[in-house]
Order: sequence, then structure tokens, then C-alpha cells
Amino acid sequence: MAALLSIRGLRTWFHTRAGIARAVDDVNLHLQPGETLALAGESGSGKSVTAYSILRLIQPPGRIEAGEIMFNGTNLLTLDDRGIRNVRGNRVAMIFQEPLSAFNPVQKVGAQIVEAIRLHRRVSRRAAYARAVELLAQVGIPSPGARAHEFPHRLSGGMRQRAMIALALACEPDILIADEPTTALDVTTQAQILDLLKSLQARNGMGLLLITHDLGVVAETADRVAVMYAGRVVEEGPVDTLFSRPSHPYTAGLLAAVAIDDVPPGERLPEISGMAPSLLAMPQGCAFAARCPKASAAAGCFTESPVFSSLTLQRHVACFAANPAASPVTVFPRSAMRDDNVRVAA
Amino acid sequence: MYLALLKELLRNRAAAAGLALLLATLLAATLGRFWFPGDPWEMSGAPMLWPGDDAANPLGTDLMGRDMATGLVSGAGVSLMIGLVSTLIAAGAGITIGALGGFYRGWTDAFLMRVTELFQTVPQFVLAVVLVAIFKPSVATATFAIGIVSWPPTARLVRSEFLALRERGFVEAARALGMGDFRLIVTQILPNALPPVIVIAALNIATAIQTEAALSFLGLGDPNVMSWGTIIGNGREQVVDAWYICGLPGIAIVLVVLAFNLLGEGLNDALNPHLREKET
Amino acid sequence: MKETGTEAAARTPLLELIDVVKRFDTGAGTVHALNGVSFRIRRGETLGLVGESGCGKSTVARLAVGIYPPTSGSVRFDGVDIHDTTTHQHLDRAAKKARHARMQMVFQDPFSSLNPRARIGRILEEPLIVHRRGNKRDRQERVAWLLERVGLKPEAAARYPHEFSGGQRQRVGIARALALRPDIMVCDEAVSALDVSIRAQILNLLLDLRREYQVAYLFISHDLSIVRHMSDRVAVMYLGRIVELALRDDLWRQPCHPYTQALMSAIPSVRPGRKNGKWMRLEGDLPSPFAPPPGCRFQTRCPFAEARCRSEEPLLKRVEGEHWAACHHCA
Repeated sequence: MAALLSIRGLRTWFHTRAGIARAVDDVNLHLQPGETLALAGESGSGKSVTAYSILRLIQPPGRIEAGEIMFNGTNLLTLDDRGIRNVRGNRVAMIFQEPLSAFNPVQKVGAQIVEAIRLHRRVSRRAAYARAVELLAQVGIPSPGARAHEFPHRLSGGMRQRAMIALALACEPDILIADEPTTALDVTTQAQILDLLKSLQARNGMGLLLITHDLGVVAETADRVAVMYAGRVVEEGPVDTLFSRPSHPYTAGLLAAVAIDDVPPGERLPEISGMAPSLLAMPQGCAFAARCPKASAAAGCFTESPVFSSLTLQRHVACFAANPAASPVTVFPRSAMRDDNVRVAA
Repeated sequence: MYLALLKELLRNRAAAAGLALLLATLLAATLGRFWFPGDPWEMSGAPMLWPGDDAANPLGTDLMGRDMATGLVSGAGVSLMIGLVSTLIAAGAGITIGALGGFYRGWTDAFLMRVTELFQTVPQFVLAVVLVAIFKPSVATATFAIGIVSWPPTARLVRSEFLALRERGFVEAARALGMGDFRLIVTQILPNALPPVIVIAALNIATAIQTEAALSFLGLGDPNVMSWGTIIGNGREQVVDAWYICGLPGIAIVLVVLAFNLLGEGLNDALNPHLREKET
Repeated sequence: MKETGTEAAARTPLLELIDVVKRFDTGAGTVHALNGVSFRIRRGETLGLVGESGCGKSTVARLAVGIYPPTSGSVRFDGVDIHDTTTHQHLDRAAKKARHARMQMVFQDPFSSLNPRARIGRILEEPLIVHRRGNKRDRQERVAWLLERVGLKPEAAARYPHEFSGGQRQRVGIARALALRPDIMVCDEAVSALDVSIRAQILNLLLDLRREYQVAYLFISHDLSIVRHMSDRVAVMYLGRIVELALRDDLWRQPCHPYTQALMSAIPSVRPGRKNGKWMRLEGDLPSPFAPPPGCRFQTRCPFAEARCRSEEPLLKRVEGEHWAACHHCA
């Protein structure tokens, strides 16, 4: 089956005064129709920048430097302004972490959905309004007609996120990008929203790209997961096999750190020592090497960058220890990167 | 929403007083014309009648025997009109320039801000005098001149609002919905940037009325229109003998300026989201 | 009353909240933040406080360290009501200061709680100066020891907060709390802002400190699994009340209150097979704290609510042993 969305060699860099921050560096991803792909990682891993790059929402000093993003046979990165605007919110929609700040505070919820519909569809204001109320009902908002007349700050956190989803679904997109959709919500509300996303997806078959730092959310929602670290995808594969047998030491460490319930209460938790390198001064070799329990000079962890390569048919990993095939045939010159500025574990 | 704003304003005592004063001025300017229908330039009694000396001229007459009440009523209309229209000009220019600079940043912003600074380096009033002097003094040129000299503060305010608002989540969300720049500026950012602009506009009207009076005082007003500044200008020689000629229009100016300032303060409180948040 | 003998002192709870009520008056009405909260923390014990946003857990933290007084009820530290001004008024300041030294707080956002213009060394020395501990040299030795203890390099003393990452700043926050060797540390969402790989480091640090210095914790978090890992006993809060309070293992073996059960089943796990069949989804949202519902506060979302729950508010009653619950359905 042809991928609905395929990202190849994406590079999004931020040209700051302190230097170039390689927020996204050579990322490859594929999303199938009806599939949920989770993009997981900690803060600064580049997961959100990747998502924003898809719709070309990167603002200066950020810039998409290279790569292609194929959607429906067109490269989103080469579309003109009008072309990409026609994709945004229409074919590929997005929901955000803070539903309150994602709504215009001075406009009523219903009016905002009407505006979203009429941006891409030639329908009367009246028909759009009827559709907006219908959408609000679809996402499980009680008395949707009355809620449409409310200003966003009058809704509760959970209701706002539902309304945000209604807004995103206004034009029945092929892909929904959800950027930390439940991070600002309480766990009981989070469960409701994840259930809702799953049921909506089952109904309309859209592809869901779920950006999250929460591996628990990934486990409960996604079919496949790509784990990002310092601007790169380090491991990717089906959630069940990847979570039960992680290949990359970072994924393994992350899972161990999250699965607190595996450790008897009160005992020391497994930790990943140190912290992520600064994107402005990436070390030579594998970005995780300084924190990696399996890193060895012999394998080239400190000198060469492991190539993202297939482990099995469905799983890919970028690690010399996990996959001998990760050794590069040609090494890109990475002259700008030196390891003397790296902030190492205190 | 506007009804709620009005309610909010009326609850604020200072703002309510401002509104009342304003309403009185407005009534004077409109209904007052029926009370004192005469030509303000026409002699209607003996010169320099003190207020109360003659029932026909309740507020007295000036040096030329022109009725003070008729002049004041005429001046109210002129002052309000010039204040409002020049403020509209200033707000229009300021919003456009500020919005473009704040939204696009970079070169556009740098250029527009240099232009703004250029206008700000010349003292407002001097610039207004020069502009009126270049064209023929008339209501239109005075209005235009006052508008042209008073847009920079609005532009700076709108720019800083835009700079902050363009980073907000809902602007990004609207962009993700496929909105173009024009729509983003007009439908998303501008409505959120307006409250402080409205406040500054109210204060701007007050300043504009003062500026107009000052221009007329210097004889740069429209020679065919009796404004408060004109009356003061005419009465300045008699300030010792007949202080009321300068005093009455002076009081009128003070009251109207005060009204707009009170209104501006009230609007500021009513539109300030932090203060309002507590109410809801 | 004079406390004599270490046994009596050991029996007195370190921190005790007795029927604490806290209301905040706002322009729009009165927020009922806490409505009759009682619990005790013994010396060296960790009490976990778990609940969702708006349940009042942060208010508990602030009351416990005396940032503001309760509307009614009392907060006792080492047997002394910390908000009682009727007795020992002349001693109040000194006593208050001494008490402050023994109870410290670790905040969620270490950045906003650290003075951006002060070097780390100065930040850590400050509490020692305020409480007149040692001379300059003693204090500097103490600062160096603190930095080492929380896993920071000695050079950190000369740097400013903004030069550190979130995890390191939290280490500084913990070091500052530790400076005066407190008896209790109130940790309000202390690891919520941190990435998972860093979170484990900070939790381990807190565990180590407990083992080495027998410090007690009031450990507040919205994350049930973290609370479970850190606590000896756990209190579950909902809308200004404690709905269940039990020894950690008892609570997980037999959660009694429907809200506790819902909370446990709502947490997404990285081991999906782990859940033992109990799957519960709550409907709706938290009611407004301006107007809490009549009867049981949970009745609007509870799948088991009956007529009684809507009229009569359940009190915290003993289920068995040290297990307490506020629910008509729990025996």
C-alpha cells in the first residue's frame, strides 16, 4: 500500500545567534492511511519541529533545509504559498497542546469552526454553522448548539480539546497531526480524548500522527512508533514489538524509566545518566553515545554517526550496538560538530 | 458584547461621569443649534456684555457683540468633529503601519519604524502648524494635519501588540487551518489588538481637540468656522477686562478633554483582560 | 505544656492537618479549595498526595508550610498549631523562623523559584545566612557539600540559574531545601516539568536523601505511579476532599473509592497487558469549585451514584486497619 505521507531526509535547522541548531536532522517517516504513527521523544528531540515542518509552519529563524514530504503524489515542500494553504486545515489538519491558546479568544467557538469550513469549502454561512454544530456533537460535546455560542474560555479543558478536534475535522482531513493533544489535560480527561481520537479515526479512516512525550499514551493509542533523540529518529517500528523488545539503548532506557511499576516501591529507579546534548553543539558520532551504556569506541559510537537502517522488515534502528548494518558506507563530513562544548552529565 | 462593555463602563464611576459629560457636549452641539440658531459671526447685541447682563445673550457677547452661547455651541460641534475625524485618520494610519510592521517584522518593520521615528522627532504641534500653514487653513486641513501628526503612538502600540500576538497559539492554529496573511491580520490578530488602541484613541480625541484649539488660537483655524480656539484667540486681548470670553470656551475645552480622558481610563479598565477575568 | 521524653515526641505526628477548610474569595464568588482535610505525617514517613488539577493538593502544600492560614481547622507541626497566634505571641517570630528551617518546599518550576540574578552559591548560602548558621567558611563548606550531595559539580556555585537545564535546576532547588537539614520536605509536583530520563534521576535523589537523613516528605503529584513509588501512605484527593487514604500496598491491592479506581485505570501504561481487567472511564468534567455538587462531590461523575450519594456527603470512614475511604459504597 502506498504511504499516505512520506517524509524523506527532512532537515529543519534554526539559525540562531549562537549558531545553527539542528532541530531536525535527516528524518524519514511514513504514514499509512488509517494508521496511527506516534512520534515520541523528550523535549528538544525535534518531534514537534518535524510535525510543524510537514505543514511548513516553521517560522524564522527556523528553515527547512532539505528533504521531501510527499503527500498525495505532491511534494509539500515545493508547493507555492497558495498550494500549501490549500493543504493546511483541509487535507492535513492539526491539533495542539493548549486548546485554550489555540482558539482566538475574542471569537465564539462556533464562528471559528464556520470560518475554518468556509476557508476551504464554498458553502453558505448557514450551512457551515449547521455543520459546526454537527461536528461539536460528533466529538461528544453536550448541547452543542449552546456551546457553539460560547467563547473558548467558557469551556472546560476537556471540552476545549474536543472543540479543537471538531475544528480540525471541519474539512474531513486525510491526516490529523496531534501535537501533545493530552499533555495539558488530567489523566481522566486524557483517557476520554484518546478514546475519542481512536473512535473518530476508526470511523473516517484518517491517518493520525501523534506527537507525544508520554510512552504510555503511545502504547495505548499508536500502531507504530518512531522514537526521536536530538533531532533524529533513533528507532522505529510497531508499538507492541518495539516496546517489548527495544533495540536502541535510548528506547530501552526511556521505557525502563517510565515503567516505574516494574520497580519495587521505594527502590532506586533505572535512570539514563547525563542529559541530551545541546543542538548547537552536537557531538561527533552518535548523539546518545555519552549517555549510552553500550557505547564503545571500537564500534565507532564516538566517531561515526550510525545510519538509520532496517533491523527486520518492519523495524529500523540507528545504533551500532543493535544493528551492525548501521555502519555507514559513506560518512557525511560533520566538520561543524565538535564535542568539546558538550554539556556532559554533572 | 458591546452592551456588556457599556454596562462595565457605567459601573465605573469615572467613566460614567466622562460619558455623561460627553453626552452633554454632544447634545449641546446638536440640540443647542436649535436653541441658538443664529450665525455665530453675526452681531447680536452690545459688545462685551457680561453673562447674565442681557436675557437675549445669556452667556454674554464678545468684543464684536457676537453671542457667546451661539459661538460655544458651534464650537462644540467643530471640536467634536475634528477630534473624531482626525483620530480616525490617526488610528487608520497607525493600525495599518503598526500591523504591517509587527506582522512581517524584518525589513518591512525596520523601514516603517524609521518612518514613524521620523514623524516623532519633529514636535507634534510644530508639525501641525507647518502642515496647516502650507495648505490653506480650513477645517479639512486642520483635521488632516492633526491626524497626520498623531498616528505614531498608535502605530507603535499596534506593532508591539502584533509582535506579541503573532506568537500566540491561536495564530499558529489559524495558519495551520490554511489562512492567508491578510485574513490572519484582519480576522485573528487585529480584534485581539484593538482594546488598547480604543483606549489610546479616546485619549487621542482629547489631544486633537486641544491641538485644534491651539491652532485656532494662533489664527490658523478655518476663518469661516467659529471654534472654541477661535473665540479664545479673539478674546485674548480682553483677558483682564472680560475674562469670560476666554474663560468659557476654556472651561468647555477642559471639560471635553476631561471627559475623553475619563472615558479612556474607563475603557482601559473595562477592556483590560486581567481585570475582567476576575469578573467571570 | 512542655514536651519531655523522646518517646512522647516520637508519638506526636510531625505534621498534622485537622479538619482544614480553605476558601478563597474572588470577584466571582467563593472557591471552596479545601473542605475538611485531615491527615498526619510521622517522622521520616512519606505521604503521597495524588489528585487531578483543581483538587486542592497545591493548597494543602501551601497551608502545610504556612504560606497562608486555613479558613478553619488547624495545621500542627510537631504538636504546635502553626497558625495559632493567641499563645506565645512574643515568641512568635523566633519560633516561626525555627519552624521554617525545619520545613522546606520543593517547587514544580525550579526556574521561577530561583533568583535569576543570584549565583547558585549565593542561592544555597542564603538560607544559612538567614538562619545564622555558621561563619562564612562553614557556610561555604556546607554549600560545596550540598552541591556534591545533589550531584552537581563544585563549579556550579559560580554560575547563574539560566545556565542550567531543568533537571539541574531542580537539583539546585532540592539542595536549597536541604541546606537547613529539614525534618520534612513538601514536594509539590517536583518532577512534573522534567523529561522522563531526568525524572528518574531526581526521584532517585529524593529516595537517597530519605534513606540517609530520615527526612519526611509530603509528596504531591498528579502521577499515580510516581506517588506509588515514593510513598508509604497515599491520600487521594478530589475537589477539596480526601476521598481515600491508605497504606500504599493496601490501596493498590484494594482501591475502594470509585474515583481511585478510575484514576488507576485511566493511566496509560507502557505495558498494556498489565491492567487486570478493571477498565473504568469517567464521563464529564470536574464540577466547578465555586459550586461543588450537593452530597458526595464525586456523584456527578460516579458510575455507582445513587439517591443517597446525591443528598448525603460521605465522611472519611475506616475500611479496615489504616485504610480510610469517603464513599457510601465502601464498608
